[in-house]
Amino acid sequence: MTRALWRHVRLAFFLGGVGLHRLSAYRVDFVLGAGAFLIRVGLQTAVVGLVFRQIPVLGGWSYHEVLFLLGFSLLPRGLDHLFTDQLWELGRKLVQRGEFHRYLIRPVNPLFSLLSERFFHPDALGELAVGTFLVIWSGSSIGLDLTPLQWAVAPLLVLCGALIHTSVKLLFASLSFWTVTSLPSMYAANQVSEFAAYPLDIYHSSLRALLTWVLPFAFTSYVPCVYLLTGAAGLVVWLPVVTAGALALALAVWRRGVNAYEMTGS
Amino acid sequence: MNRSPLPEVTSGTPVRPAARVRHYLPFATAGLQSLLQYRSSFVTTGITAAAGAAVSVFLWRAVYAGSPPGGGPGGFTAGSITTYLLMAQILQILHANRVDDEVAAEVYRGDVAVMLVRPVSYPVVRFFACLPVVAANAVLVGVPVLGLFTLLVPLTVPRPADVLLFLVSAVLSVLLAFLVNLLTGMTGFVTTNTWGVRMVKQSVVAFFAGQLVPLALMPGPLRALASALPFQGMVDAPLALLLGRYDGVADVAGVLARQLGWVAGLTVLSAVLWRAALSRLEVLGG
Amino acid sequence: MIVAENLVKEFRLAERKPGLAGSLATLFTRKHRIVRAVDGVSFTLPAGSKTAYIGANGAGKSTTIKMLTGIMTPTSGRCLVRGIEPYRHRKDNARGIGVVFGQRSQLWWDLSVPDSFRILHRIYEIPGPVYRRNLALYRELLDIDALGTTPVRQLSLGQRMRAEIAASLLHDPPVVFWDEPTIGLDMVLKDAVRHLVNHVHRELGTTVVLTSHDITDIAAICDSALVVDRGRVVHQGSIRDLLRTADRRSVLFDHRDTTAPERACAGIEQGLPGVSASPAEDGRIRVDYPVDRFTSRQVLAFLLERFDLVDCYAPEPDLEDVLRRIYGGGRPEPVPAEIPCGPAAGGA
Repeated sequence: MTRALWRHVRLAFFLGGVGLHRLSAYRVDFVLGAGAFLIRVGLQTAVVGLVFRQIPVLGGWSYHEVLFLLGFSLLPRGLDHLFTDQLWELGRKLVQRGEFHRYLIRPVNPLFSLLSERFFHPDALGELAVGTFLVIWSGSSIGLDLTPLQWAVAPLLVLCGALIHTSVKLLFASLSFWTVTSLPSMYAANQVSEFAAYPLDIYHSSLRALLTWVLPFAFTSYVPCVYLLTGAAGLVVWLPVVTAGALALALAVWRRGVNAYEMTGS
Repeated sequence: MNRSPLPEVTSGTPVRPAARVRHYLPFATAGLQSLLQYRSSFVTTGITAAAGAAVSVFLWRAVYAGSPPGGGPGGFTAGSITTYLLMAQILQILHANRVDDEVAAEVYRGDVAVMLVRPVSYPVVRFFACLPVVAANAVLVGVPVLGLFTLLVPLTVPRPADVLLFLVSAVLSVLLAFLVNLLTGMTGFVTTNTWGVRMVKQSVVAFFAGQLVPLALMPGPLRALASALPFQGMVDAPLALLLGRYDGVADVAGVLARQLGWVAGLTVLSAVLWRAALSRLEVLGG
Repeated sequence: MIVAENLVKEFRLAERKPGLAGSLATLFTRKHRIVRAVDGVSFTLPAGSKTAYIGANGAGKSTTIKMLTGIMTPTSGRCLVRGIEPYRHRKDNARGIGVVFGQRSQLWWDLSVPDSFRILHRIYEIPGPVYRRNLALYRELLDIDALGTTPVRQLSLGQRMRAEIAASLLHDPPVVFWDEPTIGLDMVLKDAVRHLVNHVHRELGTTVVLTSHDITDIAAICDSALVVDRGRVVHQGSIRDLLRTADRRSVLFDHRDTTAPERACAGIEQGLPGVSASPAEDGRIRVDYPVDRFTSRQVLAFLLERFDLVDCYAPEPDLEDVLRRIYGGGRPEPVPAEIPCGPAAGGA
């Protein structure tokens, strides 16, 4: 068991290296992809700026606090994007075109095999760069002073957030095993995750509940930001539980999907 | 590699217009057929659209929550800004014609070469193939989303004349969206990362069309820039007419004329670029 | 090495009606029907055999291969590859098999072939010497270096197939499944592939299961055949046995007589009813005869008696004809031979 795990970890590093190597071969693609995210996030920031031209406080959050939230939301999203965006291919066409079988004839875990196809999506570096910049810049504008505990927990918050993003993506991508293509529902879930870029306080309570307990995107940005900005523990203690639950559910659906694929084939 | 002559695609023996349209109708029904195979996609597209609308509606309603009933920033009220943002999302559904994806994919796979041996013009084929997509999206996604929001949030009711003007303007906006997506898809001739290009297009169009923020709420220079771009005719222009945010007949004529001008301009641009792309294809041998 | 026991695979197919009205109808209701793609197939393939898995389109070939490679689970029955049920122990099975699906790529779409091989090297944990030896072999036989650093998606079909075939053998698998492996290859490369598989088989005793529409592939690579029709095994045995099931054989001969070829042919057809004779190129005469009515000996005896033969040969029966007949339906009941002339004789 541990031996198999180690083997996959070593393979992951190797494949990451291949991905980096590819980066140099597709320089224009990389610049375009990362640039695309830069522009997208830049315009999103501009919208926040335009909102705060009209009002000083949004749902109890100041301009820099909202920017901090926006920037922080990009970190787990970017981290997830960096490693697991091959899942979009699964939702889009792998089952539809009968190409999924190639992950079943390799002597590694099929999910690993799928992700390994493109282990490193440099486009995500655009998101991570803007996110880091916004967090640092708005954090220092607020005069944010984190306690040692908060510093220690911060990377874990990002990691758990990324795993929640991955879980939701995996779950919706796995639906394609039954529905042939699940791209529209992946888009829908992705669109819902956009809610997490703004303070939850501006939404209707039913929507807040949805984002907290059904599609738990609140745990990828709002909940950790409340903790980092105010120090109030509140919901953040639930983060590990929610992450584990989401991951377990997504993996279960994936596994059932692979079994269903074996029954029906392409 | 053999330099084989390419078939003539854009011109040919003159055909009566009616016969021409008949040539392309099969592409329209085929487009609809392949669309209907994935019935669940309408539900999910609806959810995506509703979620997208909800984000901006909640955001801006928070801004207008405390504004006076006579009108807050940009002359909007809570009701009219909600109507604006919701209708912007509905227009965006009509603009999601998949032309950029499909053209880019066919260029990438080299399937365009197959299309070129058929006695029809590829861009026109794409146009007809996207019509049923637009129609199906309007009926199966646009109407339900509009109905849902009518139940949930207070909206302003437009004047009947403004609705008619909006419909004319919306048709032009659909044409603009087709052309913009066609041009986006054609970047597949020069880059393999059309995904990145499409993403840039999506964000730039959403922002500068006024889908996320009405142009009236942008600061002067930004608004001037947005007005000078074709995207303004995709969302902001039709909605200005719908909400009666114009000044007399001349203003209306100006709005429509600007849209029409951009449609003509982008048509010429895509025709020129398409020919250029074909000659490039010929050099590469497909 | 490979065992199938009462292997059954059924599919549920959604029924789609043609046309636009049909699409609209299926938007609201969907009917399903059950199709039995593999119908109680049983066979055993010994280690080191090279078997052609033959069947018409839709005969259940691909489905059976998918079950043997672990991609699909049978509806009932079971199969064993190296003593493992592939769909139960997919990873273990994957280590010991090499697969080519001619229509679909196994390689990394936007990586070059050398990069793909480096990944396979790691994934299959191929020992260094084996890896280097195999690369050298592919370099020699398949000219794999010529593929360079082009991403796989930009390779031509023939180039890609070379890489796919090499990839399937890279880890010295004891069993290989090749589904249409010579698609897109020209004659020279086809020869190279045949040479390669025969070399690997000789050196390592690899068990080969092959499907192909190319009869020459089958004849050049395989020593035994498994013929499936409508999901059932209708023939298993050596290729030679398969050829022996041919219902018609031919003889071509040259002679010194001055008779006009047309008259000679008419004479043969009259003398041996049910036989067809026709002038072939170079003044030869071709005689086709049904094996259920005449033995070779009877035909030859007749010809020797009537003509002054100078040369004569009997080609192997055409595999394609044999298969066409098998796909077309059952074999006809043998009819006792009536012998109108020539010496009576025993079996050929």
